[in-house]
Amino acid sequence: MIRPAQLRRLTGHLLLVLAAVLFVSPILFMIAAGFTPDDQVLPAASRGWPAALLPVEPSLQNYRDVFARMDFLRFMVNSLIIVSTTVVAGLAINSMAGFALARLSWAGRRAILVTVVALMVIPFEAIAVPLFFIAVSAGQIDTYAVQIVPFIANPFSIYLFYTFFRDLPREIDEAALLDGAGPWRLYWDLAVPLARPAFASVTILTFLMYWGAYLWPLMVTTGPEVRPLPVAIGEFPNEQPVQWGDIMAFATLMILPVMTVFLVLQRWFVRGLAATGVKG
Amino acid sequence: MRWIVMVLSALLLVACIGPGDDDELLVWFHTGKPSERAAMEAMVADYNASDPPRQVRLVCIPEQGYHDRIETAAQAGRLPDVLDFDGPYLASLAWKGILQPIPDHQELVDNLLPSLVAQGTWRDQVYGLGQFDSGLGLYARRSALTAIGARIPDGVADAWSVDEFEEILRGLAERGERQVLDLKLNYGGEWFTYAFSPIIQSAGADLVSRATPVAAVGTLDAPQAVAAMSRLQSWIAEGYVHPNADDNAFISGAALLSWCGHWVYEDYARAHGDDLVVLPLPDFGTGSRTGMGSWCWGITRSCRDVDAARHFLTYILGDDRILAMTAANAAVPATATAAAQSSLHGPDGPLALFTAQLSEAAVPRPVSPAYPVITQVFQDAFARIRRGEDVAEVLAEAAVEIDREVADNQGYPSP
Amino acid sequence: MSRRLADSHRSGWALSAPAIAGLLLFVALPFVIAVVLSFTNYRLNNPLPTRWVGLEHYRALLGGDQRFVRALINVALFAIIVVPLQTALALMLAMALNRQCRGIAFVRSAFFIPVVYPMALVAVVWQLLYAPGPDGAVNALIERFSAGSWSAAPGWSVLDGRWTALPAIIALSIWQGVGFQTVILLAGLQAVPTSLYEAAAIDGAGAWQRFRNVTLPGMWGPLSFTMILTAILALRLFDQVRILTPDGGPGLATTTVMLETVRSASAAGGYRIGRASAMAVIFFVLVILVGLIPSLLRQWQLRRGA
Repeated sequence: MIRPAQLRRLTGHLLLVLAAVLFVSPILFMIAAGFTPDDQVLPAASRGWPAALLPVEPSLQNYRDVFARMDFLRFMVNSLIIVSTTVVAGLAINSMAGFALARLSWAGRRAILVTVVALMVIPFEAIAVPLFFIAVSAGQIDTYAVQIVPFIANPFSIYLFYTFFRDLPREIDEAALLDGAGPWRLYWDLAVPLARPAFASVTILTFLMYWGAYLWPLMVTTGPEVRPLPVAIGEFPNEQPVQWGDIMAFATLMILPVMTVFLVLQRWFVRGLAATGVKG
Repeated sequence: MRWIVMVLSALLLVACIGPGDDDELLVWFHTGKPSERAAMEAMVADYNASDPPRQVRLVCIPEQGYHDRIETAAQAGRLPDVLDFDGPYLASLAWKGILQPIPDHQELVDNLLPSLVAQGTWRDQVYGLGQFDSGLGLYARRSALTAIGARIPDGVADAWSVDEFEEILRGLAERGERQVLDLKLNYGGEWFTYAFSPIIQSAGADLVSRATPVAAVGTLDAPQAVAAMSRLQSWIAEGYVHPNADDNAFISGAALLSWCGHWVYEDYARAHGDDLVVLPLPDFGTGSRTGMGSWCWGITRSCRDVDAARHFLTYILGDDRILAMTAANAAVPATATAAAQSSLHGPDGPLALFTAQLSEAAVPRPVSPAYPVITQVFQDAFARIRRGEDVAEVLAEAAVEIDREVADNQGYPSP
Repeated sequence: MSRRLADSHRSGWALSAPAIAGLLLFVALPFVIAVVLSFTNYRLNNPLPTRWVGLEHYRALLGGDQRFVRALINVALFAIIVVPLQTALALMLAMALNRQCRGIAFVRSAFFIPVVYPMALVAVVWQLLYAPGPDGAVNALIERFSAGSWSAAPGWSVLDGRWTALPAIIALSIWQGVGFQTVILLAGLQAVPTSLYEAAAIDGAGAWQRFRNVTLPGMWGPLSFTMILTAILALRLFDQVRILTPDGGPGLATTTVMLETVRSASAAGGYRIGRASAMAVIFFVLVILVGLIPSLLRQWQLRRGA
């Protein structure tokens, strides 16, 4: 015997699962098209849902083409260099600043804190044009540096570290100071290990921010040499001849590693993202 | 603002792509076709082996984004000594002072096709010299034309009228697949200006008036221009035009007419052999017109040894080198003497039409510093016309935008 | 304590110096430069002398520049449609996902995973879904739903229609954006104390009343935060438009403030850095105004309550 309440719950579950499958359909479609021969992609796409989510005459030809035609590895390496350098260097200097603002008392601390909060208001898009002008004039077009250096210091990251360090109990520094540790030791031996959740959040947030960046790399790269993945995929449909199978294989290769990392570390991602929302 | 720039360049860990070895001549070359690049590299190797005043260091740069790279390098003061560029951009590069006039050019241009001299000259100075010019026409399948009893023109003067052309479209479409015309709609950028401004000129209008400064209102939005672009729009609307998404429509036989330049000739000839004919574009009223102009070489303002640069240009403009390059890309050789030796472009060659067109029907794209904006605006307008928007409205707006840009630059006075 | 104070002045500055230098050089300074440049007609590589033009750019842009005014209208439209729609969807999803049962983690992943999709990738995948002609996936779907009464003309895509292009862009933007909003709202939902629901249940409140009187007030923080964030994202609209309708067409139906700004500052717009800077400053003011909405709302509520 199924009671009505149970039945309602079950239909609820089923609807949710159906919605989830519908929701991921574009991605399943992308993966299927990546295995479908180029001239079959469009006809296959018109078969309707859910038939279009299955590949036709599956083969790995598109993947071979992506490495031969598009030099996928170059773009992947570019993205890795740019994103990892920005994130790691950012962790270092932003956590230092957040620590100094939260735990040390020094002349100018308040003014700096106010400045950091004020700068959080300026979206990147508002300074893209002057930054482009500076980059061009400094001869930095088509370099890694121009895609990394301006983004290392980040007011959001500083603020996140600041709130985290601020909320650590005071007693820890007192004890350390009695041991004769200076501020640098305090930062390195105590604050950094304790702040692992903050480091995780900032890593995830800044990774997502720079990994998907499109506007700025588009403005400061004129060719493929130092281009990251998002710009490369955006330009791919403009390459002649247009081969949708190759494009979707490229997209799949680009996203699969990150999707895997996300699924493994989902808890951390969710916590990291939620950290942006809590202050409201 | 200079100090900002200086501080920043110091801070930005200056990447060292600087001008390189001081004894070398730094030369930028855009790379389109791999065969062009191979020909250029071979030429430079030969040049360097010939004990020149300075060794040439060739830097190959992808065509997409090439002109952006010239502009950004100019702003940063990092131009090479010599570079190539797309011909219609010459006036803009010269006006901005990115190029300097080529000294003692007389002997270099003596043997050059008049169309190339015109392309390379701006305000009485020569800034650019090309190894080749371009050809634009209609590729067709002789068998298909014969089957519908169409006349096959044997020269520019004999071109189909646009009414005749539309009749042929109808005739071909009725015999099989409807999408018989390939306009290379899959191409991007400059193609649209190059390929379709000739129909506006053939109708009796133009992109801009050829006065100084240029003006688009009254020219680009003239009724003749609207009429010509409307006819082209109707071909698309009526389904005659193949989308050519895989760039294979004509080769595979799906399309029977292909509106394209010299660069596809070899692929087309390989696919269709003797069945391939090369025809002039249709006549929209005042005679068939066609495009011209191509990439050419110039000396930048930061060139450290103008004599050595000129020596290099003299070398690559020799008939042998011109023939080597045009064998690689099927373009029209830049000199009459080289053209006469070319198996493709000589008087009996299959592309003799392209050589003849250059003196009879080709119209240079406007030689004006406004050209980069003119072509951008026209490309945007073309995209809208292609989507079926109102042609008169689109061209009127485009004309206003071009003229606003000219006015903004005070008509491009000599600096 | 005294030792710490004495010692901290130098290390305080030393520890924060790299970050402060970065912020000043790459955020504050460019912003000042943007304001300064916006009063000039500066262009890259232009041989004509750069002039001060005062407020001319602002007057021209806001006083009827066809493209820019349309860009403002488009981003406003985008925000007006996306913010409520995406928020409602995310709230519904968050409530549906806020349950404990087997497999829920898996279902949650499905909705959360777009947070790692770069917008450029999403746009390219949807470009294929929106492919022109009867073979395009979306066109074929519409045809099926219309039971054959409608069929796409060869070469026609939803991105080509004056009235369908912006909705097409909105659809993929919501698809990509709703996951992020759901993550934050779900965290917010879980933070609402269960005791409040229990108390409401004892009072005999129905599902709707519980939602109206417990969930919504408890979610004010995350809701207003994500709505403002989504509104600001709407103002910043660029990536998907640049890829799907790079000229902002058809007509000007999909042009945006950032698309116009970048166009102005690039070769296509004659490298008009001065004019583009003015657009950037206008953009900044708009972002500030949108960011102020929640505190204005709260003040208005307080005043009404008083």
